[in-house]
Amino acid sequence: MLRQNQTAVVARNEWWTDGDASEPYEAGWASEAMVFLRALSAEGGTGRAVLQISPDGMRWIDEGTAFETPASGQVTFARLREFGQWLRVRVELPAGARLKVLLTYNLKA
Amino acid sequence: MLGLSRFDPMKRVICFDDFDRGFCGWTQLVGNYEHDLDSMLPGYAQHTQPQLSNLSHWDAGTHGSVDGTYALKIATRARAGAQNTAIKRLTFRKPSPIRLEFYFTFKPEATELALSETDVRSIGFLYDLQQGDQGDRGGLGDRVMPHFRFLNATGGEHLQRWQYKDKTTALKPLGTQGKTLTHYHLAPEGWQDLPGGGQKLCYNEIPTKVNWHYVRFDFDLRTMQSMELQCNDRVYDVRSARPIVMPAMRNLWCMLNVAFFVETDVDKRAMLYIDSACLSGDF
Repeated sequence: MLRQNQTAVVARNEWWTDGDASEPYEAGWASEAMVFLRALSAEGGTGRAVLQISPDGMRWIDEGTAFETPASGQVTFARLREFGQWLRVRVELPAGARLKVLLTYNLKA
Repeated sequence: MLGLSRFDPMKRVICFDDFDRGFCGWTQLVGNYEHDLDSMLPGYAQHTQPQLSNLSHWDAGTHGSVDGTYALKIATRARAGAQNTAIKRLTFRKPSPIRLEFYFTFKPEATELALSETDVRSIGFLYDLQQGDQGDRGGLGDRVMPHFRFLNATGGEHLQRWQYKDKTTALKPLGTQGKTLTHYHLAPEGWQDLPGGGQKLCYNEIPTKVNWHYVRFDFDLRTMQSMELQCNDRVYDVRSARPIVMPAMRNLWCMLNVAFFVETDVDKRAMLYIDSACLSGDF
């Protein structure tokens, strides 16, 4: 049996500001995730994207991995393993900054 | 095949999708656009990717699916009226009777310690079909979209009835090349009650327990007519439930798309889970 391999676009063409996060994504079947954050557009400077995990898809805690949010037209990413069942990305942006995101997970069993 | 024994397929199994084997070709219904994603209708822009879920709950752990671990999960955003879908895109090789069967359940996100039985507005399914290029009216043909939903509740009222719709929104051209059109066939307007279609489904006492239900839908690709709908122990004659019909589009010949959808009635995520689905044909 080949390994499961799924690319999930979990946020597309949404304007995010400081504190915004992606919808919960459930992928307990996957043992590894690549998280790609593309800025379709960005205004007001970059900040941090923080990976969050959850026991139930409702209560979120920082996993410890964070990476810089991309400048307009750029892509940044992080690698993640052993994240349990739930995953989301929250951004920390400077006051007045905003980011039009395309957030893509590549997940492998 | 053991999993297939819980279905009653017609002669030819076109696909048998048990989500313990993966996504089986079910994906996000992305809206049409040209040049700019901003041209996508808002109804489609809200859609997100389906998930493989083992139905785990904060209070009781993993629930699991009918005969294994995983089900396809379609989740809305936490905004009243939000919808989400999952779609599988095929074409047909013979205009014939076809049968869609699936096992499903639905629930709201368990953010409250309350039953929340009226939080999910509806769950449903649809076909997006188009006749072949040698079909009726000298190949002009029709695009045909039978839609059915189980209206669970609106405004806190637990309605529990089957509905269908025979109208979509007006076609809207996108972009500048004259190649792309869009319409929002899942708009909340236009649903009609299926005569005799009230049905009380089993639901449990808290939003972290679910029971699985069975649906069978028979449709005839020769006449483009809905025939029969079964949910658990109830069978409905749906020949009078007209599908949405519009002129054929220049690029969709023999299209056979199947989609599931879910809609929330409150500012809380609604989830539709599909354990397995079987599409078969009489050929």
